[in-house]
Amino acid sequence: MAKRAVVQNNMLELIIFSILTLFMLSGAIVMITSKQTLFSAFGFLITMVGLAGMFALLDSRFLAIAQIMVSIGAVVVLSLLTILTINARESNLPDEPNKYKWMVFSSLLIAPITFLLYKSLLTLNSNFSDMPTSTSKVVGELLFSQWVLPFEIVSILLLTAMLGAIIIVKDPRKKEEV
Amino acid sequence: MSPDLFYLLVSLLFSIGLVGLLSRKNLFVIYMSIELMLSSVNLLLATLSKVLGDANGSVMALLIIAIIAAEAALFLAMIIHLYKEIRTIDADEFNQLSEAEQC
Repeated sequence: MAKRAVVQNNMLELIIFSILTLFMLSGAIVMITSKQTLFSAFGFLITMVGLAGMFALLDSRFLAIAQIMVSIGAVVVLSLLTILTINARESNLPDEPNKYKWMVFSSLLIAPITFLLYKSLLTLNSNFSDMPTSTSKVVGELLFSQWVLPFEIVSILLLTAMLGAIIIVKDPRKKEEV
Repeated sequence: MSPDLFYLLVSLLFSIGLVGLLSRKNLFVIYMSIELMLSSVNLLLATLSKVLGDANGSVMALLIIAIIAAEAALFLAMIIHLYKEIRTIDADEFNQLSEAEQC
């Protein structure tokens, strides 16, 4: 009885994985093929939502929540806002007449690398361990004991990125008027 | 459910990101391709964290998410700055620093 429940559980996981994979791959392909930037951004959004689902499927609950909050709530929304602010017209978008040709060419170029990556990843352990779910408690304990130096460095990095972004977009011509 | 499928998905996502990075001229698509590649590495870290039964991978992926956020802020600021300069998001147009004859 218990075995049957496990099999059913595996089946359910496989179905969820397939649906999420379909979403992620189609989102990624829409992202790199569509001419309109906004459609690419929506493809990216779908991919990121699928990735959050994958994290949840992998029992990393905290990571799934962080993915939704940071990647979707901040990064994707920021890109959408920038795209809508720039609001490039159809004629202003880069002219790419040979887009699909280049895509096929670079796919052929990258296919061996993909294969190599997949094969080398397959040499790793191919069974999931029965570890307890990594809840926010476990992650937080690790983050503030072993990983405290990288954590602090990341905080400095974020501060620098914020300052850098402000300095980059500041108009240097405005300074002379002040 | 075996991790092999996750490995396959990671390889495919990384490659799609690389193809987008190589074949497109739109700055936004290039930016999103880089994000996609970073996110696929994140998925690999989460998978390995589950395979090895070790939560360190999750912590690493969390730090990478923070780095992705920093990268996004800088890249978008740079796109806005470049757009203010010459009003285009075509990556081929930005050749102000090149030594060759400008067209």
